[in-house]
Amino acid sequence: MNDTPLLSVDSLTTTFETDGGTLTAVDGIDFDVREGETLCIVGESGSGKTVATESVTRLVKSPPGQVEGTVRFRGRDITEMSESELREIRGNNIAHIFQNPQDALNHCYTIGWQIAEAIQIHEPDVSDEAARDRAVDLLDRVGIANATARFDDYPHEFSGGQRQRVMIAMALATNPDLLIADEPTTALDVTVQAQILRLLDELQDEYGMSILFVTHDLGVVANVADRIVVMYAGKVMERGGVYDLFERPAHPYTQALMECLPGKGQGDGGIPGSLPDPLNPPDGCRFAPRCDHAVDACRTGDQPEEIEIGDGHRVSCVYYQSGYDESTVADESLGTGTSTATGGVGDD
Amino acid sequence: MGLEWYITRRVAWAVIVTFIIVTLTWALLTAAPNPQVSQAATQAALQGGDPAEARERARELRGLDAPLHERYIDYVTGVYTLEWGWSESRNQPVTEALLESLYYTAQYSVPWTILTILLGPLVGIYSAANQYSWKDHVATGFAFFGYAIPNFFFGIILLLVFGVYLDVVPIVYNTDVAVFSLENAIQLVLPVFVLVTGSIGGTMRVSRNESAEYINADFVKTATAKGVSPLRIYARHILRPTMVPLSTTIVAQLLYLFVGSSLLVEVVFGIPGLGQTTFQAVIAQDTSLVLGSTLFFTFIATVGNLLQDVVYTVLDPRISFDER
Repeated sequence: MNDTPLLSVDSLTTTFETDGGTLTAVDGIDFDVREGETLCIVGESGSGKTVATESVTRLVKSPPGQVEGTVRFRGRDITEMSESELREIRGNNIAHIFQNPQDALNHCYTIGWQIAEAIQIHEPDVSDEAARDRAVDLLDRVGIANATARFDDYPHEFSGGQRQRVMIAMALATNPDLLIADEPTTALDVTVQAQILRLLDELQDEYGMSILFVTHDLGVVANVADRIVVMYAGKVMERGGVYDLFERPAHPYTQALMECLPGKGQGDGGIPGSLPDPLNPPDGCRFAPRCDHAVDACRTGDQPEEIEIGDGHRVSCVYYQSGYDESTVADESLGTGTSTATGGVGDD
Repeated sequence: MGLEWYITRRVAWAVIVTFIIVTLTWALLTAAPNPQVSQAATQAALQGGDPAEARERARELRGLDAPLHERYIDYVTGVYTLEWGWSESRNQPVTEALLESLYYTAQYSVPWTILTILLGPLVGIYSAANQYSWKDHVATGFAFFGYAIPNFFFGIILLLVFGVYLDVVPIVYNTDVAVFSLENAIQLVLPVFVLVTGSIGGTMRVSRNESAEYINADFVKTATAKGVSPLRIYARHILRPTMVPLSTTIVAQLLYLFVGSSLLVEVVFGIPGLGQTTFQAVIAQDTSLVLGSTLFFTFIATVGNLLQDVVYTVLDPRISFDER
């Protein structure tokens, strides 16, 4: 049983019809989330991470959005499900928390009402009093002081960090199997960020849930992830365990991301260039236009097949195919940053 | 503190506003020549009497010889004790005349108001849910048409088509039919329809634009992610915040049409309601009745605005009534 992943995503493609043509935000990616683990999807803004996670339970607005591919949850194909079957899963088995706690709660209702709604939608037999008691317990658990009194407060009476705590309480209301956390700490200041991450970690142990964590912040990744998927322009560049990726980043894009970490590498201005036009992505590797090592083979065909270079560590780069010298990319990164980067991350 | 104190203060303001408007109306009409007095003078002159003496007598008879401040104080006391004077043109107390007219006005105003409040947000949210589809365009086109066409003109056209050519509705309003009867319903269909098309346009547009904004709001995504059904999302999560700006529009639209257009509509359809009564009173220079109906409209507008302010604070908890 433990071999079947909790969530299994296969060739997930999400497109949007726009005036300029079809925009492919997520382009045939696959990933698994295992029981009890935290999978991080990493990539710069606009790389399709959020759309990918919102495609899992089809939160993407359709039209203009169109989700294709298979998503299996506990072996059940949820892409084949009707809207009403899907609603049973949403919130109940797969819960979401979002990037911006300022707007994620409805300002017209008390936070207690909103948590109780999450409970009673999935368990209609629960009385108002029982739902209230459970909501108060949850608020207490996520660290809202004086939870009984604050049940009747409105979202605007809470700070950003507290609102994210309320969102977490709401997500936990039905004891989900999977929590999708889409940049849950990005809008918060650093001290609050650390508190929320610690809270999520505690709750994961307590509730035994899996977490699919989306972030662009590698510092956060190092803190929370078991495994990492690196996304760029709707494609997966590299994936692997957190130690493999931080110690031996194989893809030039991953290496470039690592070098952006404070105190790592020599560059201080990030990765030169910008994301390709999603309406008209380049041939070959999506990262080729910004890659220092790109050769002609990188600019033709499709994104290179992922190649296994370690236990569960896979990379989508031509240099790891037979006939290429992978030390070209490896050497280069060793020469600039890997020696310091590995040392630095190892100490974290 | 709290809602009660807020409402108390708002009511106090409402009384002051009413007072100012009553004073202004009274001042304007006092400054205007009184038709009965001039008529008495003309008559006396025609019959060989002394016009100046007749004018004096007429003024004395109506208490117009008293000093201004006395007449003003008398009037204001009357306003608050519901003694609104005697209508010369209708030969009955002003309050009675107004009540009689209100009886007819209410018969089309009540269904009109209810329909506007129900249909406006519904059509607007329907439009927003189907944004930029043909359904949205039809609803929007309908709204713009109703908003743009003058009510009295639309009324005349409808009366011509359905009353004269198709002969399905009576052309002359019949005051003898019972309030809750088919005949009454039939004769009220057109005025109600005309007024609803007029008021629904603005309401529908505001609710469409506001809810279109909320349909893409993060908290709606949260609700979807919780497993809330689309119907419940519209009814609970989108309608509620939409109602906040919408309540302003609804009250403003209804007041505007009630005070302005309903007069023209009443004249077109021959309904002896408040608008028509006011119109006749102005023509007949029936000072007391004009003052009375002005007072009544003022009252309606003030209460409407008061309701709107209260509804605001109830609908959107972020609007505080403590500091105002």
